[in-house]
Amino acid sequence: MIMIAYYVITAFILCLVGWNFVREKKKPDDLVLYLLVMIPLLLRLLRVK
Amino acid sequence: MKERGMKREGLVKAAMAGAFLGLVLWGGLPLFRHRHHDIPIIKGPGVTTVLRLSDFSPRLKGTAGDTPIFVLQGKEPGGKALIMGNTHANEPEGMLAALVFIENAVVDKGTLYVIPFFNNSGSRNTRPGDGYPLYFDVPTDWGSQLFRYGNRDASPLDQWPDPDVYIHYPDRQLLSFIDVRNTNRTWPGRPEGPLMERVTFGAMELMRRDKIDVAVDIHGAETMFPVTNCIVAPEKSVKIAILASLTVKAMEGFENHVEPSPAGFRGLSHREIGDYSEAMPFLLEAPIPFLDQPTGPKTTKFLLDGKDPFLLSLSKKKKLFVPYDETGWPLEKRVGQHLSVTLEIFRQFSKKTMARPIVVRGVPRYADVVKNGVGHYLGDPAKAAAGTVVMN
Repeated sequence: MIMIAYYVITAFILCLVGWNFVREKKKPDDLVLYLLVMIPLLLRLLRVK
Repeated sequence: MKERGMKREGLVKAAMAGAFLGLVLWGGLPLFRHRHHDIPIIKGPGVTTVLRLSDFSPRLKGTAGDTPIFVLQGKEPGGKALIMGNTHANEPEGMLAALVFIENAVVDKGTLYVIPFFNNSGSRNTRPGDGYPLYFDVPTDWGSQLFRYGNRDASPLDQWPDPDVYIHYPDRQLLSFIDVRNTNRTWPGRPEGPLMERVTFGAMELMRRDKIDVAVDIHGAETMFPVTNCIVAPEKSVKIAILASLTVKAMEGFENHVEPSPAGFRGLSHREIGDYSEAMPFLLEAPIPFLDQPTGPKTTKFLLDGKDPFLLSLSKKKKLFVPYDETGWPLEKRVGQHLSVTLEIFRQFSKKTMARPIVVRGVPRYADVVKNGVGHYLGDPAKAAAGTVVMN
């Protein structure tokens, strides 16, 4: 149950950061930071083993 | 004009995302290969059956927590012993000592159970923040054998998320959050608990069902940690531990003192195995300088020879708990100590419990391993007879 909740939270944060990445127009630094933050979230969701 | 700008922006973002994906693949592929690298284990002349831990803890089936158990049934009945290596997969002495038993031991009386990769998930994990190498090579008579170098804890890929605090089962003692993935804090485990509790539960079930008399959990510990170069034993095992310690010192010339297992510190094999089964637990520690913090780079050479100038300097200032000189603390000494102490525990147990003897032959002792190297006792999987190699 806790694990499922953590996966839902991960997906939610990934969507938020992904949406910010799409919306960002001016700051390339922020784009890089969004991508960096998305890596562990994406890997966790894909369950790459 | 605006449309062209948007298209360009999209292209830049796609290129950036592609570059990041490339970086992830570049960094992740070696870890992926390490996780899936299997090690050949040759079934020696004494191995009669290979079981799985999931035979005793069914909810391990199909998970990274499942691991092979090699059974060496003796010609005559007697006592039963369990040897566990890689409880902490960054302490490879235990795994190598277990492999030497599997490939060389012949049991005359009693039965031996050997689990070389007790924390199988941990053996497929690493600690990049500490600069751990992913593999190490052990020189052998036929070349060299490549092994995965693992981590102390199971991989978060297999057990996730970690709690804020690990509440030990069943004593409810509060332990560090990371200990939920540490198979030497999750004893005695439970069948439906987190993966590592299911691992220790499997071993407990094996000990209870098959009436194991002696359980030996083989480790390595830092030279700056006081509980090193020793046998940790609870009250029920301490007499045999003392006799084994005195005998190896007198007969084989190496120190291996006895440490009492603290009753108030829960989750450890040397405490819970004895409290939750009839078995006598022993936890063996040999010094592994590689695990100390104030050292030079964590290279495979250092892992094997245990030589480090910073530790040497600390030794001169009497900051270490073991003697340390220019010869370091090589793998041969560490594995040799474990083999001799384990054999001596069996011998002392057999003398004390004559109705249930455990008599093992074919296993080298300390002086043999120091002289010939660990690899001398590992066979060439390429030349092993068909059906005798188990990959893990």
